[in-house]
Amino acid sequence: MDYTMEDTQNSAPDVQDSKLDSSSQRNDTQSVTKRLQAELMQLMLSPSPGLSAFPNADGNLLSWTATITGPTETPYEGLTLKLSFAFPNNYPYSPPTVLFKTPIYHPNVDFSGRICLDILKDKWSAVYNVQSVLLSLQSLLGEPNNASPLNAQAAELWESDQEEYKRLVLARHRDVEDVE
Amino acid sequence: MAALSPEELERFQKLSNEFEPDIQGPLVSVKQSSNAIAADYANADPTLAAKTSALAVTHSTSRIMKGDGNCGWRAVAFGYFENLLSLQDALLIQREASRIKSLCTLLDRVGQQEHLYEIFVDATDQVFSELLEAVNQGIRDESFLVESFNNEYNSSAIITHFRLLTSAWMKLNPHRYQAFLSMPLDQYCATQIETVKTEIDEVGLQALVDGVIEGSGFAVEILYLDRSVGEAVTPHLLTPSRPSPAVIRLLYRPGHYDLLYRAEPVVNMTPVVNYQYGMTSDYTPWDQTALGFDMNSQLMTIPNLMLDPSYTLNVTPMVPTCSSPYRVPSPQEVYQPPMQTQPIAPVSPPVTPRISAPPPPPITTLPPRSSEGPQIRLNPLVMKSNLSRSLPVTTPFKK
Repeated sequence: MDYTMEDTQNSAPDVQDSKLDSSSQRNDTQSVTKRLQAELMQLMLSPSPGLSAFPNADGNLLSWTATITGPTETPYEGLTLKLSFAFPNNYPYSPPTVLFKTPIYHPNVDFSGRICLDILKDKWSAVYNVQSVLLSLQSLLGEPNNASPLNAQAAELWESDQEEYKRLVLARHRDVEDVE
Repeated sequence: MAALSPEELERFQKLSNEFEPDIQGPLVSVKQSSNAIAADYANADPTLAAKTSALAVTHSTSRIMKGDGNCGWRAVAFGYFENLLSLQDALLIQREASRIKSLCTLLDRVGQQEHLYEIFVDATDQVFSELLEAVNQGIRDESFLVESFNNEYNSSAIITHFRLLTSAWMKLNPHRYQAFLSMPLDQYCATQIETVKTEIDEVGLQALVDGVIEGSGFAVEILYLDRSVGEAVTPHLLTPSRPSPAVIRLLYRPGHYDLLYRAEPVVNMTPVVNYQYGMTSDYTPWDQTALGFDMNSQLMTIPNLMLDPSYTLNVTPMVPTCSSPYRVPSPQEVYQPPMQTQPIAPVSPPVTPRISAPPPPPITTLPPRSSEGPQIRLNPLVMKSNLSRSLPVTTPFKK
C-alpha cells in the first residue's frame, strides 16, 4: 500500500501538485485522528454496558478491536463477540469496515464475519461512531433483518425453530480468548 | 438473445461489481459560460434546447457541481459563502459566522454530541475566517473558496455541518415538514439528511434554506429546467419575497443542482455617473456640437474661477462619496486641462451669470489652444438623453 502511494507520487508529472496533495492528506489524517481520539475519549469517560472498543496495540489509530455481549433474552445472551473496525482515510465521511471476528450464526452476517447493515453502507452518517455502531449491532443480534439475509438458513430458522437456532448459535460460537 | 457463457456472465458481474458512475470534474467548477449547458442540450428535446439557449442569455455564467450525491448541498453552501465574499462586508461575515455558530444549540437540542460534530463546525468556521481575511485584504477573487470546496475532506465537513443543522431544524419544526414526507420525520432525517451521500430532495432543500440560509437574508431561487411547456426555465423562490442583499441561484435538472449567475454585473453601480466619468478609457471626442464645449473654452481657462466661495461648498459632489469597490480616479487624473485651473465642472454652459461675482485675476497669458479647446472626455456609450442625469456638473450650479 505504502509503495503504491509512493509510486504514484513519484511519477506525478507536477511535483508541486503532489506536494499539495500530500499536505492536504496530512491535514485530513490529522482530522481523522482528532475525531477518533474524541471517540475513544468518550468511550472511556462514559462506557456503555456490554460493549468495549480500543485501538489495536500497533499504534495505528485506524484499526480497532471491539467486543459486544449478547443482549439478554436473545439466543446470544451471555456470549461475548469480538469485532474489528478498519477506518478509511476519509473517516467519518465513509463508514468503517466492521467484521465479526468471532464466528457467529446470524441471518445478517456471513461466514467470513461480513455484516449486512444499512448504516454501515449507504445510510452511513458522519455522526455515527464506534459506540453507535456497536449499539446497533447489539440490537441487530436480537432483531435480525430477515428480509435481506446473508445467511438464509438462519433467517428461516429464526422464524420457524428458535431452539434449533440457538443450538446452531452456540455450536458456532468460540470464546474470545480462542479468537485470533 | 443468445445465452451468455458462464465466463462472460462472470466477467459482466465483475464489471458490474466494480462499476462506479463516471463522474468527472472537480467538486465545484470555476465559473463557466452557460453556453456549455446550452450546447449539451442542442440536439436534445426542442423544449430543453430552447430553454437552455434562452438561459445562456439571461444567466450567462454557471458553476457546475459534481454529481456525487452532494451537489445540491454543495451548491447551496458554496453559493452562500460566495455571496458573502462578493458583498465584501466584513461585519456581515462576522455576524453570519456567529449566527451559524449559535445554531449549534439546535444540534445540542436534538441530542447531537459535541465531540462528534465539532470537526464539522470547525471546518465551516475556517471558511468564515478565510472569507474575513480575504475581505479585509480587498480580495474579490473566489478562487480560494473554490479550492477549499474542492478539498474533498473539507467539503464533506462543511456539507455535513449543513446537513446536521438542517436535520436538527426539521426535528425541531416537524409540523412544517412532516406532511410532505412519506415516512416519519426522524427516519427521513436519518436516511436522507444526515447521511453522507444522499441527494437532497425538495423538502430537504426547503428545510436547508429555512433553517440555515434564511437567517442571512439571502434569497434562494431555483430555476427548473424540464420539459414543461414554455421557452424559459421556470423560476421558484424558496425564500420569502423581500429585498435581499444577495441571491443564491440554483439550476435544477432532474436529480442535479448547479449554480447560475445572472447576466448583469453584480457590482454596486451607484452613482452611475462617477463610473462613467472615472472609468472612461476612450478619449475620442464625441458629439461636440451638442454640448458646445468650445463656447466655454475661454471660461474654463480662467484661473481660480472655482475659488469663488459661492461654489466651493457645492463642488464636493464631483468627488465620489460612495464607498464603492472601485477606486474612482480623481478628475485630475482623467482630464488634464492645459492650464492648472481647477479641472472641475467641465460641462458648464449655464455658468455665465455667476462669474460676475468674483473679479477673476487678469488673464495675462493664454496658451495657444487647439481649436477644440479642452475636451470633455466621455465614454461614447453614454447616450445623449442620459446626459442630464448622468453628468454631475450641473449640481454645483443649481439653486
